[in-house]
Amino acid sequence: MLSMTNLSKVFRTELVETHALRDFSLHVDEGEFVSVTGPSGSGKTTFLNIAGLLETYTSGDYTLDGQNVFTLNDRQRSRLRNEKIGFIFQSFNLIPDLNLYDNVDVPLRYRGMTAGDRHQRICDSLEQVGLANRMKHLPAQLSGGQQQRVAIARALAGDPRFLLADEPTGNLDSQMAASVMGLLQDINQQGTTIVMVTHDPELARQTQRNVYVKDGRVCDEAAPVQLATVNE
Amino acid sequence: MTHNWETGPILRAMSRNKVGALLIALQIAITMTIIINAIFIIVERSALMGRESGVDEANTFYLTSTGFGSAFNASSVIDEDLRRLRGTPGVVDAVQINAIPISGGGWSMSLKTETGADIDGIGTANYFVDEHGVDALDLQVIAGENFTASDVRLRGRNQSDWPPVAMITRALAENLFPDTNYADVVGKTVYIGNDEPVTVTGIIDKLQAPWIGWDRLEHAMLTPEKMDFSSTRYLIRTEPGQRDRLMAEVETALADAYPNRIIRDVDTLTATRERSYRRHSAMITILTAVMVLLCTITALGIVGLTSFNVSRRRKQIGTRRALGATKPAIIRYFMLENLMICTLGIVLGSALTVGLNMALVQWFNQTALDWFYIPAGIGVLILIGQLAVLGPALRAAQTPPALATRTV
Ligand SMILES: Nc1ncnc2c1ncn2[C@@H]1O[C@H](COP(=O)(O)OP(=O)(O)OP(=O)(O)O)[C@@H](O)[C@H]1O
Ligand SMILES: [Mg+2]
Repeated sequence: MLSMTNLSKVFRTELVETHALRDFSLHVDEGEFVSVTGPSGSGKTTFLNIAGLLETYTSGDYTLDGQNVFTLNDRQRSRLRNEKIGFIFQSFNLIPDLNLYDNVDVPLRYRGMTAGDRHQRICDSLEQVGLANRMKHLPAQLSGGQQQRVAIARALAGDPRFLLADEPTGNLDSQMAASVMGLLQDINQQGTTIVMVTHDPELARQTQRNVYVKDGRVCDEAAPVQLATVNE
Repeated sequence: MTHNWETGPILRAMSRNKVGALLIALQIAITMTIIINAIFIIVERSALMGRESGVDEANTFYLTSTGFGSAFNASSVIDEDLRRLRGTPGVVDAVQINAIPISGGGWSMSLKTETGADIDGIGTANYFVDEHGVDALDLQVIAGENFTASDVRLRGRNQSDWPPVAMITRALAENLFPDTNYADVVGKTVYIGNDEPVTVTGIIDKLQAPWIGWDRLEHAMLTPEKMDFSSTRYLIRTEPGQRDRLMAEVETALADAYPNRIIRDVDTLTATRERSYRRHSAMITILTAVMVLLCTITALGIVGLTSFNVSRRRKQIGTRRALGATKPAIIRYFMLENLMICTLGIVLGSALTVGLNMALVQWFNQTALDWFYIPAGIGVLILIGQLAVLGPALRAAQTPPALATRTV
């Protein structure tokens, strides 16, 4: 599904070169639920951005769903993001001026679906996260947990093969975090591959596999149970 | 990838941030109202300024000769002056004349086709010239004949009767005799002053009156007269390119030839036209400046609002990119948003435009706007809007998708 081999990412500014990733290799199989942990600045977000085609990499190999993504142009990358990848962000990234319905609609419009198709998918995915009755509400009228559910609905509406989440529970209290985690697990059960960056060892333990990243490298692919001791 | 126009979401998002959009729409409406009416006025004024006097303006100048002293014999000085002028190399022809076309000052009379006090006359400008008038003014006699030397009579200082023959412009002929072909007006009698009969002996293609704001500007009548006035005007037409040189030469020559008089007001017809139409050209300059200013301000307003929105929505744009928006989709978003604001402005502006024009028609004697100015104005405003939004929209499209994860 996702395969990175000896990937490196260097951020260059006039003053410094930051090696955010070096010799980064990781394989995620179809249907897996993988958590990524590691200290701050270790390169987790960088990895996720590259995996989700939000950023390019400096060297190495990355194939997504059998496709080498290095040569894709911006339009093709946009299309791939739109069709195959769902994103969940730490701060939800809902569009504040749009109601829930229109928020979920955003990626669907970029796919050029008919209005009827879009309507069906929006309703279904809001239903799935339990917010179908709040469609006309603005994000600001919702709790953080609810907003993250809307963001999940937005990611799901496009029926992605692959869900990328960067600290999806980072801004939520433990109760809300648990419910979001439960939702992700349901989604994974239904066949969607999920990669989730988290700081929370408790959540990492609930995934099938944990990847520990340090200094831009996959340090230890440990089973989630062992992780608690490694992660500070 | 096909693309859904985001009209609905844009409208709904905008309705939650109305003020900026409404202000821009209002600005567009006002700009549209003013520029359309201004362009209309400019076009009208330009058309007025483009009207030809019928005279060879580029090569014509005139001057005033004022004699003094009891020994001054106007009639003989005039004869001698004209002989001298007409004999000067570079001069095409010269004529003594009572008034200068489009200069603002002159004579006018009322003409009638029948006698009787209760009959309304038609106004005309009157020019007194001899048989050289046609050549000196560069006129075309399109029917009948030019005057001959024997037609020319002497008009005294306080004499108010009229010679028996006259030439009139085609426009005057057609207004006097609406049912007659202008050529057939030759030979007809018109009545002037105290119902004095004058026979039309020639039709002039075109010659304007001295007053450019007059609605009878194209009405002119030439009578064959030599004015026995001590202060009189000469109009001189030169070969192309000779005018400025001859102006100086002629002035000295005339002054030298007869010292007991003053030569003054030596001026070209070009300068006269400029002076007469100064209010029009000033109006055009002011309106053009206002238009440029308004368009610039509107464009800057749009650039400002869009730039503000782009920076305010940076994270949103990054998120949209992450969710699959291509760069063109981001550009399209802002262009479409602007188009929608423009549309509101245009709807409002069309109503205001017509309203302002109606007010101008009512209170300032302006003519009613031609319909096509509205779509043309709409086109211009949309173009300004789309061009203004393009820069910020292109910048928005450069927002990296990684911004979605990199900002809080
Ligand atoms: N755009 C950038 N320009 C320069 N350096 C960057 C950029 N983005 C990230 N970095 C650097 O790359 C390294 C990895 O950053 P990254 O955000 O991937 O870490 P992280 O593991 O997600 O950290 P955290 O847990 O705090 O979110 C850091 O040293 C960071 O400063
Ligand atoms: Mg991070």
